[in-house]
Amino acid sequence: MKQLGGTNGLSRRDFLRSGLVFGVGAQALASGYAAVPDVFARAVLSAKNAAIQNDKVLVMIQLGGGNDGLQTVIPISSSQYRDFRPQLSAAAAKAQPINKDVGLHENLKGIKALYDSGKVAIVQGVGYTNPSFSHFDSIRVWETADPARRQQDGWLGSAIAKNYDSAGHPLVGCACGTTNVPGMLRDLQATLTVIDDVKTFGFQGGQNVENVMGTLYKGTPGMYGALFDSAMSTVRDTVAQLRTSSAKYTPKGNYSDKVQLVYSSKNQLAAALQLAAELIVTGTGVKVLHVTLGGFDTHYTELNRHDQLMGYLDSAITAFHDDLTAYGMADRVMIATWSEFGRRPKENASGGTDHGTASPVFVIGDGIKGGLYGETPSLAKLDQLGNLSYSVDFRAVYQEILASHLGVDAKEILGQSFDRVPFVKAPA
Amino acid sequence: MYEPAAKPVIKKRGLRRRHVLVGVGAAAGGLAITKALGLYNLSSQPSLPGQTESPTVAGIDWISPLDKPDAQVAHLLRRATFAATPSEYQQTIKDGFKKTVDRLLETKAAEPPALAGADDATQEKPIKPQELVAWWLDWMLRTPTPFAERMTFFWHGHFTSDFRKVNLQTPFIYWQNLTWRQMSLGNFHDMLYQVTIDPGMLRYLDLGTSTGKAPNENYSRELMELFTMGVGTFTEDDVRAGAKALSGWREPVTQAMYDALVARAQQQGRPAPRNVTPDTVKTGVFEQQRAYVGGVKFLGDVRQWDTRAALEKILTQESVAPFIVTKVLREFVTDQPGDAYVKRLADGFRKSKYDVKSLMRDVFMSPEFVAPTSYRALVKSPTELMVHMAKALESPALAKAIGLAGQGMGQLLFDPPEVGGWPSNASWISSNNVLARVNFAQATLTGMARIPAFKDAHTIHLDGVVSPATAQLLNSSPDDATRWLILLASPEFQLK
Repeated sequence: MKQLGGTNGLSRRDFLRSGLVFGVGAQALASGYAAVPDVFARAVLSAKNAAIQNDKVLVMIQLGGGNDGLQTVIPISSSQYRDFRPQLSAAAAKAQPINKDVGLHENLKGIKALYDSGKVAIVQGVGYTNPSFSHFDSIRVWETADPARRQQDGWLGSAIAKNYDSAGHPLVGCACGTTNVPGMLRDLQATLTVIDDVKTFGFQGGQNVENVMGTLYKGTPGMYGALFDSAMSTVRDTVAQLRTSSAKYTPKGNYSDKVQLVYSSKNQLAAALQLAAELIVTGTGVKVLHVTLGGFDTHYTELNRHDQLMGYLDSAITAFHDDLTAYGMADRVMIATWSEFGRRPKENASGGTDHGTASPVFVIGDGIKGGLYGETPSLAKLDQLGNLSYSVDFRAVYQEILASHLGVDAKEILGQSFDRVPFVKAPA
Repeated sequence: MYEPAAKPVIKKRGLRRRHVLVGVGAAAGGLAITKALGLYNLSSQPSLPGQTESPTVAGIDWISPLDKPDAQVAHLLRRATFAATPSEYQQTIKDGFKKTVDRLLETKAAEPPALAGADDATQEKPIKPQELVAWWLDWMLRTPTPFAERMTFFWHGHFTSDFRKVNLQTPFIYWQNLTWRQMSLGNFHDMLYQVTIDPGMLRYLDLGTSTGKAPNENYSRELMELFTMGVGTFTEDDVRAGAKALSGWREPVTQAMYDALVARAQQQGRPAPRNVTPDTVKTGVFEQQRAYVGGVKFLGDVRQWDTRAALEKILTQESVAPFIVTKVLREFVTDQPGDAYVKRLADGFRKSKYDVKSLMRDVFMSPEFVAPTSYRALVKSPTELMVHMAKALESPALAKAIGLAGQGMGQLLFDPPEVGGWPSNASWISSNNVLARVNFAQATLTGMARIPAFKDAHTIHLDGVVSPATAQLLNSSPDDATRWLILLASPEFQLK
């Protein structure tokens, strides 16, 4: 609290929350807001973290646009599936069966191999009540873990702020392969950094310029002042951390992008995961990472596009897991996918699918108790809009990640408890 | 442990800031700060040890200079255009605020020179993305009608499309830019129809492949959610009905695309495709046999719809004017426009039958535009930032470099991150982006053969209102190159 006293004893969180920077409701939703940490965050809960810090790492992979669960975990024996999807159901014959009812997409070969070795949990039918069909609205629900839409902080940002003393450790929360702060990580009290490309993450002009910028971004007035100042201090901490990281890193997985780039998958997943691996392996203190693969809004010619995306996802995750295994870290790292919604069972005229509801979540790692969780969504019992019903609340998945993997108080972050989805082998 | 300690001071902070903003309680603290912020004798005064200690100003707002005519004009140029070169600035100061608003609004958008080869883009000869981006940036830097250009940029974020999905093997995304510019100051009503049948949009949001038999909902949803009404103002049934009502359009085929198709067929020994003919229009083509026939209930009315009728119906919705006005205000005035302000401008927008020019006049002439709370209340997008840098340094040749740097700051033109367009304001601020912005300033200055004299750049570009840290660094800089770096990399310059 001493440091807080130095800045008039004021909480930046409360300052910002008083509405001076961000509004609530639709406008704030539309813009999102950046969570950039600063000196105010540095005094947070240092006493608490000693007890809860384990060596686990979480990597969240966003499948942006709404991943089609029915083309990912395919209901191979369902005649309704063929009826709803005359074109897209061609995927069923090529799927890799995991039981008599469902099979993994043919391009998920690496993930299938990991599944067969018990390292992949597939939670089926994940969703929430009164689902939104808006990308932005539903992304916000998943990001804040709050279907009531009262929260502004991301659930992971909140987990960082409440549990980790990030003073001098700017990489506790890190978005890789992107330029802006992803909503899941944002929390005004969480220190987090964003690294698009580690090779260019440094000051052109060297130490001199860095020193000048440190002076320039201090005590900046105005409603964005604290955000700018803290972003710059995070830059400098990140540069210092990257400079002093102990180990040398050479990738030991095959991250080459063999699959053709899909139109809007501008976040190159393989490159982002390679960066994530580098940060994990070199001991930069990363704890919670976020990467994105876009292009899943497959309203048209889905068969081709989704095939490519599956291949892209599979090769990137396989390379990442191989890499971590080679460095002996695969038991520490959990990979989990998320997407704002699944897609409509019935295909449209463009050979694609429109926005839908429940879809599967993949959780991958050596600490995972592999298998199928949740219920396979029924195509016989669609809701009145022709969509799938969910069987697992997405927050139950979050709960298992928080409590059993990271070993933090999930209820403090989620506000309530859910039935356990026990995909972590040895809960923290 | 943390929250209880913090709570009692929230009010103090809120009050304090408001005092400063309205100038009421600023007498004691404010004067001292004004002095601290002043840049006295910039070029001659050496840096004195002991003066370099900045007072703690966290939570204190900028002292708004917007009661002064010159500052008002500079403020207008930063927001209604991509800011100004020193000579543009001097001329505008002479004209004054009102005359400048008139000139900006009443001058028809100047057309950029054609991008060579773009009209004839094909699979074999696609548009190169870096050329397309540099072409537009070059025009942002040189156009004689910078407000129309700024509005084109606004519409590019609002009615957005990206070159990845639209694909550069057609002229569609290039045409879209030309169309948005032609429509930029017209009627929202007319523009919405043009947007709906725009070839790039037909592809980006899939209306071009939607049919009455199996409609594609993508355009119908985003038309209401992102383009006109806002989330939560319509039902899922409206989305489905809208998709039917709007169906029947297809993309046009250019002569060049047709020729390429025929040539490919010949090469592969196939007959020329008989079901395709070249179109002469630069819009979508309506095919009745692909449209939906029959009555549907859309936004409360049951009838046989066509595209125009469906758009008319949307524009009768109460939510449209406040939705558009809010978006405009968040881009041009303040991140947090008040309800009464939105309502006032929305009423005018409706009364003008959605005339964009009249809305923008209301925006710039509103007292809120020059209110102290609006000063530095917006964050420049990467494009605005870099174009302003090039103008400040009088270096129009920077277009290509700006294009290349945009991606690392989150803004590659023609490639928005999502269907919602570009982020705004606070969302631009991240460690990655702040570093990339500073690095661009450094790289640009390093690469310049001759750096212009600094002179009164802090007045022209920052209204002479700078933080103690910026003032101290400017005062103690050994040369103009360093002063430019401080200015261009400063937090002040990131704001508009």
